[in-house]
Amino acid sequence: MADTPEAVRKSIRTYLLIGAILFGGTILTVLVATQPMLDVGHHGFDAMDCLLGLAIALTKATLVAAVFMHLNHEKKAVYWIFGGSFVFVVALFGLTALAKSDPIRDPLFYGGHSTTPAPLASPTLR
Amino acid sequence: MEIPYIVTPRKDTGLFNSKIAIWLFLASEVMLFGGFFSAYVFLRLGADYPWPERTLPVLPGLINTFVLIGSSVTVVFAWASLKMRQWGRFRLFMGITVACAALFMVLKALEYNVKFHHQAVRLKDYTVIEGHLGYEKDGEEYVKDHHGNKIEENRIQIETSGLTFNTVRYHKEWVEELVSQAEHRKSRIVLAADVSAVTGEGKPAEILAKAGDPLSVDLLDRIRKAHLDARAHNGSLRTASLREEWAKAKNENPGKRGWQIASGVNIDTAAIAPRLLTEIATVAFKVEPPAHFDFKPRDIKEADGQSRLRDDTLVDGKLLESPMGFHFVDAIDFRHLAMKAVEKGQDPMVAISNSWLIKNDAFAREAWEWHKGEVAKLEKELIDGYGYGKDGKPKREPTAKERYRIGWQELAKKAESEGAPNLGFGGWVIEQFKGPNYDARGGKTFPSLEVPREEVAFASKFTPSWNTYYAIYFTITGLHGLHVIGGALVLAYYLFFGRKMYETNPEWLANRVEVGGLFWHFVDLIWIFAFPIFYLM
Repeated sequence: MADTPEAVRKSIRTYLLIGAILFGGTILTVLVATQPMLDVGHHGFDAMDCLLGLAIALTKATLVAAVFMHLNHEKKAVYWIFGGSFVFVVALFGLTALAKSDPIRDPLFYGGHSTTPAPLASPTLR
Repeated sequence: MEIPYIVTPRKDTGLFNSKIAIWLFLASEVMLFGGFFSAYVFLRLGADYPWPERTLPVLPGLINTFVLIGSSVTVVFAWASLKMRQWGRFRLFMGITVACAALFMVLKALEYNVKFHHQAVRLKDYTVIEGHLGYEKDGEEYVKDHHGNKIEENRIQIETSGLTFNTVRYHKEWVEELVSQAEHRKSRIVLAADVSAVTGEGKPAEILAKAGDPLSVDLLDRIRKAHLDARAHNGSLRTASLREEWAKAKNENPGKRGWQIASGVNIDTAAIAPRLLTEIATVAFKVEPPAHFDFKPRDIKEADGQSRLRDDTLVDGKLLESPMGFHFVDAIDFRHLAMKAVEKGQDPMVAISNSWLIKNDAFAREAWEWHKGEVAKLEKELIDGYGYGKDGKPKREPTAKERYRIGWQELAKKAESEGAPNLGFGGWVIEQFKGPNYDARGGKTFPSLEVPREEVAFASKFTPSWNTYYAIYFTITGLHGLHVIGGALVLAYYLFFGRKMYETNPEWLANRVEVGGLFWHFVDLIWIFAFPIFYLM
């Protein structure tokens, strides 16, 4: 981590670069979501768009955490504390995944569990 | 007293104390927001209605993202300036950071304000209509209630002849409002019969209030006190009686276990009956002469004959026609209706053509026909652009939103194609922030509509009560907004009151700003995920 005035001075360019990447990443996310030519997967929003959008967001978040929050040069204690909290986050998302993969079909749980018959010669709802 | 480890790091952690503290706090924040994002995923996957994807205007969200990213850069520059002992530059960058926070909150407030004034209604056939409610008018003049406020055209009106209050749950503000409405309509709400009660053991029944006494919060408070006192007294009596009976049963059945004798142990109701006080769970009033009262739809479960308020007050009377009046309809959404039709194995297009709106409103029919033409054009474009798959189906098809929703932009496009003025880029920008411009576009673009009350299944502004999407949207963005305010206050403190510390111990101030900055970056980090999730997905 940049601690001395000289090291801090040297880091300024990095901060500017990261700021620019974050602005660029934001514009990219919006373009991917709004421009048909950048629409991956099916037409409109789908799992591919979701993955791409989250991948860009994750990249941006990693840059903020690594450079602006100095996690690229931190002490072990910080890694343990901050990293440890993600165990709980993963567990929480795991609970949602468990609910989603419940083999007992709930007709009220719309998602991918729908047991409804196919529409009559009409497009399915995505 | 000198505070240890505020500048120099501790040997065991390698960090100064406030830094380890902020990381512990941020770890708890990760778990908090992680829980909410997990809830978002759960609600979205489990939604039993079409999730309103890409429903928020992108421009305000995009600008807010730029503002937060910009402030993240300036806060790190502010910290760097302190490290390089450049007070002037620190003030400049920190000032920009705080200004960015203020701008973020202003934009968020604008966004919330649009939502709070935008009305949606779900009809019983699952058609969703969105728009702007009007106010009751008499000719050109607005009708005002007795408080002098304009009356929104979304009130349940009941010709009320009687009211029965639950003496525990009655809501004081509503009681006062009812009294006020009655006075305004030259009517009185009075007790239907004497309220008499035994208020002390061995005492005769006494009259707490007489028939004809006017309704007031004081009167209900008095009756509630008598009721609650009686309930507490009677509860104690019953408990004591049960204890006594239990002890007796134990003595009579030595050696037996509790569960073996439990079925034979009962309160001796005959013995305690003379000692019981009178509980008054409800109290009835009559309205003389019957008067027309207004209720907010969310407060009442209306019915002809007897309606029920959320505080369990029963309202006797005739339900009057209380249509919901949209001054401007700005979106017609058949997605939910289509989803229900698909679930039933019906053709969504047939279900839509049989919907109340299409059958009863000429503009909706016209708009729907126009929209079908637009969808056909889009289908052709997608086929021309992407062709067919191996299964013979088009590789790309319009989404459910494109097929079944006519949003305000589509209505504007339709009107423009018929000669309505185009508001241009400036107009588009304003509409991104303030919602559809009803005044400029007028009734030709956004027509008025009256929905009979019996067709309304649920109505709400775009608030957390409308659906789970808005519930989680307001929860996460609201909590995030509170973090922005909190962080900005801390950073502003360093900006305006940091000079003295800078002169005495600049490294300490730098460390404080670093800690505040870490929190600020975290706030940015949350928004980096919230923006695509709420605005783009």
